[in-house]
Amino acid sequence: MTGEKPPFGGSWPRLYALVLLNLAALIALFTWFTKTFE
Amino acid sequence: MTLLDWGVLVASLVGIVLYGLWRGRENRDLGGYLLADRTMRWPTIALSIMATQASAITFLSTPGQGFADGMRFVQFYFGLPIAMIVLAATAVPIYHRLKVFTAYEYLEKRFDVKTRTLAATLFLVQRGLAAGLTIYAPSLILSVLLGWNLAVTNLVTGALVIVYTASGGSKAVNHTQFLQMMIIFLGFGVALVYILGSLPGGISLGDAIVVAGKMGKLNAVDYSFDLRNRYNFWSGLIGGFFVALSYFGTDQSQVGRYLTGRSIAESRTGLLANGIVKIPMQFAILFLGAMVFVFYLFSAPPVFFNPVEVERVRAGSHGAEFRGIEERYAAASEARRTRAVAFVEARRAGDPAAAAAAEEALREADAGAGAARREAIEVIEKSDPAAQTSDTNYVFLSFVLRHLPAGIVGLVLAAIFAASMSSTSAELNSLSSTTSVDFYKRFVERTPDDADRATARRDVLVSKGATVVWGAFAIAFAEYASRLGSLIEAVNILGSLVYGTILGIFVVGFYLKRVGGTAVFAAAIVSEAAVIACFLFTDISFLWYNVVGCLGVILLASLLAAGGLGAKKPAPATA
Repeated sequence: MTGEKPPFGGSWPRLYALVLLNLAALIALFTWFTKTFE
Repeated sequence: MTLLDWGVLVASLVGIVLYGLWRGRENRDLGGYLLADRTMRWPTIALSIMATQASAITFLSTPGQGFADGMRFVQFYFGLPIAMIVLAATAVPIYHRLKVFTAYEYLEKRFDVKTRTLAATLFLVQRGLAAGLTIYAPSLILSVLLGWNLAVTNLVTGALVIVYTASGGSKAVNHTQFLQMMIIFLGFGVALVYILGSLPGGISLGDAIVVAGKMGKLNAVDYSFDLRNRYNFWSGLIGGFFVALSYFGTDQSQVGRYLTGRSIAESRTGLLANGIVKIPMQFAILFLGAMVFVFYLFSAPPVFFNPVEVERVRAGSHGAEFRGIEERYAAASEARRTRAVAFVEARRAGDPAAAAAAEEALREADAGAGAARREAIEVIEKSDPAAQTSDTNYVFLSFVLRHLPAGIVGLVLAAIFAASMSSTSAELNSLSSTTSVDFYKRFVERTPDDADRATARRDVLVSKGATVVWGAFAIAFAEYASRLGSLIEAVNILGSLVYGTILGIFVVGFYLKRVGGTAVFAAAIVSEAAVIACFLFTDISFLWYNVVGCLGVILLASLLAAGGLGAKKPAPATA
């Protein structure tokens, strides 16, 4: 981990968590999308 | 194409080239030419990374996949965000601290010169051929649909890219990629809005989504586990993770993009932004294809979207048979349209029983149209066994040319050219970097840094020359590609054959500090043989080759090192 802060998100662990949460939300959305319209 | 379309297209292309020449006008040394003096901010890096990965064939083929196969291709990208996090946390700080120009430089610092040279050679072979296909594939589609000369289209695309890439290096590449992505977003955004606004028969977006779903086109996630199934949740998450880790972490065409960051934070954030935006972008492009499918449910589609193959079979000995099938397909499509309208009306009436019956009738009609289309493809193949029997890549552009208004056609074509140029420019830039840094400076000049002004000027000149030579090679390969036939597929799959092994070498370098150069070199040779054996003798989906190659190198190198093979050399930096 470097001392530099990310341009947004506060800290690197938070930014990594944001990317993972975004992925989880997208997969959940796509699963709902698939189930709803199949 | 109308005059307006030509105007939009030519203005876009000229604008890209001039902008590239302007932004890359000053390069005093290799740091400026190959790394843009490490001045880039994260938004430019993020768009540059996306533009490098998304070639023209991505934008032509992906809507076609959405049309023919639904949304399941989106799963291929599920592992990408995780790979972005791993690379941001580990590889980016290492590359930055070592101040390398190429990813392969790291391998000599960590292992030895033979490991660096092996990886750099694999990269040059794979990426050099891929650059030719990056030019050839969209040129072929444009020449088929617009009647343009294939050789001239290859030459114009390649020459435009060479002009600004050779002149301006990474600065020109990164800045033009930013502009190119804007053109791509605009072109495809306008096309999507126009399609949704012009669905025939008063079909609303909600109706279109329901119909697409009922016809199996919105199958975005499939949790079943099957090694032979190319796109499901598991292959996308695991195989896609390894592909992305290898492509973004070890392929110089991508590493060169984020090495231009002004700091570790800028490079990291560029990668992470790609991890956030990439999946929704692919989803939108696939959705565009699904909406084209719905559009053609309510208006007459061609039986086959490649007009050259259609004209050839019509003019051949099977012409009468083919025309008969075309008539049957037209009748089946009309029956399907009628039933699609009936289904939408039954839904709107709020009658579940009638809607279920109409849905069943629509499926039957679609199966009838599908059977007629398969017959047509069989006749095309019977007429010419060498004919292209997949028209997936032609669906979207064929739709654009038939149904979108003047001006938007030119904009979409400009977006396709922008995509082709953006990928090619990054490829040429990375081929030039690897040639000049990993071979010329390492084996010919033998100076580790720019020793003086004369050396710096010579290094830049050599890199510019390498860009021109690789560009000329890519154009020559694109010209020759049409004669390769089925070898094209082999060239396309070449990346998957080597990515896993290269990734394994880097993973060992980053994380297994006790393993030395000889152990990893031997492990790489054996693992590459195992991957080729998988390709030749099994029907395992290509995404899994990356897992086999990577894990093979890690396990074998660990075993060899444990057995005493290979001298340990301490790592120059830690993650």
